[in-house]
Amino acid sequence: MSKIKGFCCNYTLSVDIEALIKEGLVPEDLEIERLPCTGRLEVPQLLDAFSDGAEAVFVVGCQLDKCHNLSGSYRASKRVKYAKRILEELDIDPDRVEMFFAGRGETEPVVEAARIMASRSKG
Amino acid sequence: MIIAERKPMKELLEMVSDVKRLLIVGCRGCVAVCSAGGDKEVSILAAALRLGMKKAGKQIEIDEDTLVRQCDPEYIDPLNDRASDYDAVLSMACGVGVNFIADRCPDVNVMPALNTTFYGANLSSGEWKEMCAGCGACVLHLTGGLCPVARCAKSLSNGPCGGSQGGRCEINPDVDCIWQQIYDKLSSLNRKEELRQIMPIRDWTTAGHGGPRRRIREDLLP
Repeated sequence: MSKIKGFCCNYTLSVDIEALIKEGLVPEDLEIERLPCTGRLEVPQLLDAFSDGAEAVFVVGCQLDKCHNLSGSYRASKRVKYAKRILEELDIDPDRVEMFFAGRGETEPVVEAARIMASRSKG
Repeated sequence: MIIAERKPMKELLEMVSDVKRLLIVGCRGCVAVCSAGGDKEVSILAAALRLGMKKAGKQIEIDEDTLVRQCDPEYIDPLNDRASDYDAVLSMACGVGVNFIADRCPDVNVMPALNTTFYGANLSSGEWKEMCAGCGACVLHLTGGLCPVARCAKSLSNGPCGGSQGGRCEINPDVDCIWQQIYDKLSSLNRKEELRQIMPIRDWTTAGHGGPRRRIREDLLP
């Protein structure tokens, strides 16, 4: 398992992750899992990522008012919030999991999210 | 429905600290409806315990299952056949389910994952409120359907105490005085004169003060 795990809505990130790593735009130990919609993401997937060795986990969904499935990224943000609560109860920094939003096909917010989470994983 | 909430993770981790093989069993009854112990919550708790145990440097194998209910024998008795597979069963039912498993499954080491809190209603997503105390002697026909036993901090039977101020309870300004609400409700129904009738001193034996309660309907007995 990579140290940083990202879950991205299929409607965000339009550039191949390997290309971004090759260009040095994102950390090498980044793994991205694409989802049909971040509303599909459940809390156990976020926690399992940590159990599998990730030091930071993030989710990038569509802008709240632009979700293809209307409330998918809103649901994802609520699940990230609950995952933070559980991490806190386990004495793990809740900032190690975060929700981000991106416009349709936008890669830059995903790159930025990966960088932010890389810095948090070193904290 | 019966409202419950998950115990703090620290308490749960301590509970299972020596367990190597754990079965988490949810319930699709009340606790599933109040988002405390259904399929989803079982899966979240399993993931959280795996992470917590890993962080503590301990090994644990966790299986997950959810029963239709944990308050009927036909659903929990099969746990007897599975007892040897696990060091412990962590029940995500209310206290009824935990007790019933303990009663009927002698070889199962059952533990509670939830704190059972009250009988309540769902005000909105994520918010529940106590509405009934299960006292066994309902007076709701006298109080406009509003319960002074469950919803008055002092369970008063004949009107508010001196701490009722501006329609609020003295224990917390966010809590409505139920006796003010009873008065308002009966007034709107043109029944407020009924409040002049003094309720007799309550017999609390039906509320469990006479020991564990049992109900029998002979026409349904086998």
